[in-house]
Amino acid sequence: MRRVWAVARNTFISAMRMKTAMVFMLLLIVLLPLLCVNSSGDGTIKGRLQSFVSYGLGLVGVLLSILTIIVSCYSLSSDIKGKQIYMVATKPLRRFEIVLGKLFGVLLLDGLLLLVFASVIYALAIQMPRMVNIEQGQTSVLQNEFFTARKALPMKFNSEEIEQAVKNGYTKLLESGELDESRPKQDILKELRNNEIFKRHSVGPGSMVMWEFDNVAPSDANEIIFIRFKYDASQTPADNNIRGLWYLGDYRQIQYGSLEEMKTPIYQMGTKKITDTIHEISFPANAVAWDGYLAVVFQNEPMNNTTVIFPIEDGLEVLYKAGSFSGNFLRVTILLFLKLAFLAGLGVSLSAWLSFPVAILCSFTAYCVGTIHTFVIDSFTYMSAATTILYNFTIKPFIWLLPKFDGEYGVGDYIINARQVSVEFLSVAAVLFLAKALIILAIGILIFSRREIAKITV
Amino acid sequence: MVDTNGKYAIETFALTKIFKDWWGRNKVVAVEGLDLQIRRKEIFGLLGPNGSGKTTTLKMLLSLLHPTKGKALVLGGDSRDPKINSKIGFLPEESYLYPYLNARETLDFYGRLFGLSGKIRKVRVDALLEMVGLEGMANRPVGTFSKGMARRIGLAQSLINDPELLILDEPTSGLDPIGTKQIKDLIVELGRRGKTVLLCSHLLADAEEVCDRIAIMYGGRIQRLGAVGQLLEKSDKRQITTDAVSDEVMRKIREIIIASGCDVKIEAPMEKLESFFIEIVRQAQQQKRPTSGAVNRVDLTDEDITKTVSDVLDRLVSTDLSEAAKIEIDSPLKVESVKVEANEGLLENLTATVEPVKIEIEKVEPKQGQAEIENERDKVKEDLLDELTGAGEDENA
Repeated sequence: MRRVWAVARNTFISAMRMKTAMVFMLLLIVLLPLLCVNSSGDGTIKGRLQSFVSYGLGLVGVLLSILTIIVSCYSLSSDIKGKQIYMVATKPLRRFEIVLGKLFGVLLLDGLLLLVFASVIYALAIQMPRMVNIEQGQTSVLQNEFFTARKALPMKFNSEEIEQAVKNGYTKLLESGELDESRPKQDILKELRNNEIFKRHSVGPGSMVMWEFDNVAPSDANEIIFIRFKYDASQTPADNNIRGLWYLGDYRQIQYGSLEEMKTPIYQMGTKKITDTIHEISFPANAVAWDGYLAVVFQNEPMNNTTVIFPIEDGLEVLYKAGSFSGNFLRVTILLFLKLAFLAGLGVSLSAWLSFPVAILCSFTAYCVGTIHTFVIDSFTYMSAATTILYNFTIKPFIWLLPKFDGEYGVGDYIINARQVSVEFLSVAAVLFLAKALIILAIGILIFSRREIAKITV
Repeated sequence: MVDTNGKYAIETFALTKIFKDWWGRNKVVAVEGLDLQIRRKEIFGLLGPNGSGKTTTLKMLLSLLHPTKGKALVLGGDSRDPKINSKIGFLPEESYLYPYLNARETLDFYGRLFGLSGKIRKVRVDALLEMVGLEGMANRPVGTFSKGMARRIGLAQSLINDPELLILDEPTSGLDPIGTKQIKDLIVELGRRGKTVLLCSHLLADAEEVCDRIAIMYGGRIQRLGAVGQLLEKSDKRQITTDAVSDEVMRKIREIIIASGCDVKIEAPMEKLESFFIEIVRQAQQQKRPTSGAVNRVDLTDEDITKTVSDVLDRLVSTDLSEAAKIEIDSPLKVESVKVEANEGLLENLTATVEPVKIEIEKVEPKQGQAEIENERDKVKEDLLDELTGAGEDENA
């Protein structure tokens, strides 16, 4: 391990003294304070904070990703090109130890820079409200909606119930003779399934839809819980607004008991919100039952005269305070570090057998694919319909290896919406990123261990 | 047959390296069927012109290149085994150093790669910097060093682990005569201490002075191998060296030798340019003239220099000299001046009329080996010229 550390130390010194890291550090030192001063968001202090912290972390993430790619791709390829590797590979350390040393050196650089700049962002974020005069109401908004970490519970379906409904629907079609026998059974079942899911997310005029949540655990009954929602309308109203009534509480009390026996209150709220925009409404947390049960009901007011549709991906979720801003900020930083670790593994692995320009090209491609991962996956999934076998054995494993930096792995959403990065999610992300990085690194080590290091000169 | 009793430090079996082109076709045969045995505790010189396969052989020995065929054993095993290469010191054909590290950090880094503790590293780094004359430039980035200074650091790193086997590829390349002499002294001293040294060079004078045995490579094959003394010996010649004597004495000597039926050539010996150069630098140093280069302690006598090298090695190595002396060196004697007893009868004849002169007869290594190389080189040159000009073809035609 001492020898691996020696290589790591040398890699770190190389990055610092070759001034590569210095350029990026200078950029961050200049840009972060500028961002702090110029962030405006929606004009409120919450907006400014959301804007500064999310863009700040985004900037740090992007610059450190580029730095990681450059340093990691340079690490071994430059030693091979400059032949310094002759004097390292002939010392008592195995080839994989050289690769690991290079990787640890890059990780050390990433860790230190991320620690420094994340600390700067954190300190500036904490100081920003103190630098401006804010009203009393704004302070509580900040505390409840920014300087906190809220756990998010997305709406869910009862898959058994859906499957049963699909089965019944199919039987009904079969018995009524309305089944289109020219179509494959799988296609018909898929359509029925989509219809059933759609039913659970759409509300006709005057109708109600209910979502049930378990394990809602606000830290205190006096706290606030949030309903975050977004809806569309099948026919957009003239003023683009949808009126609705929300009910929140333990629905089981109404279902199974009398109102006098109610132990938790049921709250009602009327809203008039525009379509296709995310909204948040808040309720007292004591609406949650003792066992963590919470029902959320939405009634589409008849005057809307249109069907309201909640998108499956981000139609509705319940948020409640589950941790501190500091803790969440730390987890977001760790998530950033995991991405950098993946890029470092990829870069070092490629530099073990490719020249610097080729390695950096491949790494940047992987990085870009990672940032538009969902789009890429959708493209390949569409293609896969025609080439299933080829897709399963060639492209699918390759796609799995590609990093995913967007969606739930993007850090901005967690900061802007004060959404908690759960330990479970972070653990899964760590396993996923590290597993992918290790597989890629193992390929690099295998090639590096077997390749001829010396150049052919005759 | 594989060496199982550790007699050989390096052993190769039909070692072959063929470089192929992109299509997998044989492009160049760099080394072909090399069977080489280098005994432990000997100084072995691998000589040959550029492109003869010396460096490729070294790279295969150190697993930097994979043999196309054959096998190489270094210290009885695979040179990629950390247990084996922890006992090897290697200086490549150029000092490939990290330009951003300073001299001290460079040596410290290589010390770390050998897993040496901080305390040992410090002692060794200081000693080596002193030995290569760079203690004054210990904190200067090696990227700013001249080739010779970088070479010194390269040599120092090859000694940081007190190696059992030292593989030096063109160790004196880029060095000034003082540095060259120091390295030669060092190699001799290491040999005296029981280390094995494989020296790869095309500077024949260097190898001639320090090597026990040499192999001359050409076209990837060993053309000649043996003890330097045996290869270069010219048994039909004698050289007599005396103090300056009168013309009368010279005339008598000539007459005696001619009378015995031999040819004689008498001329004043010339000082070696290396010795002359060192003397000039020594005088400049005594005048304390400033320099930005490496500081060699040439103000010391040859004995002092040898002692300095020895002292530094003492600080580097744990090898007990008395132990080293007990080691039976299974190799021919080192090439050096051999003092022989003067022929009493000849002396009487020589000094009958004048004051007796102390005569030292040196058994000189005639340049037979070199002559062969030169002949061969001339032949190659002629062949090449023939090929280029088509002269050979014309003759054949």
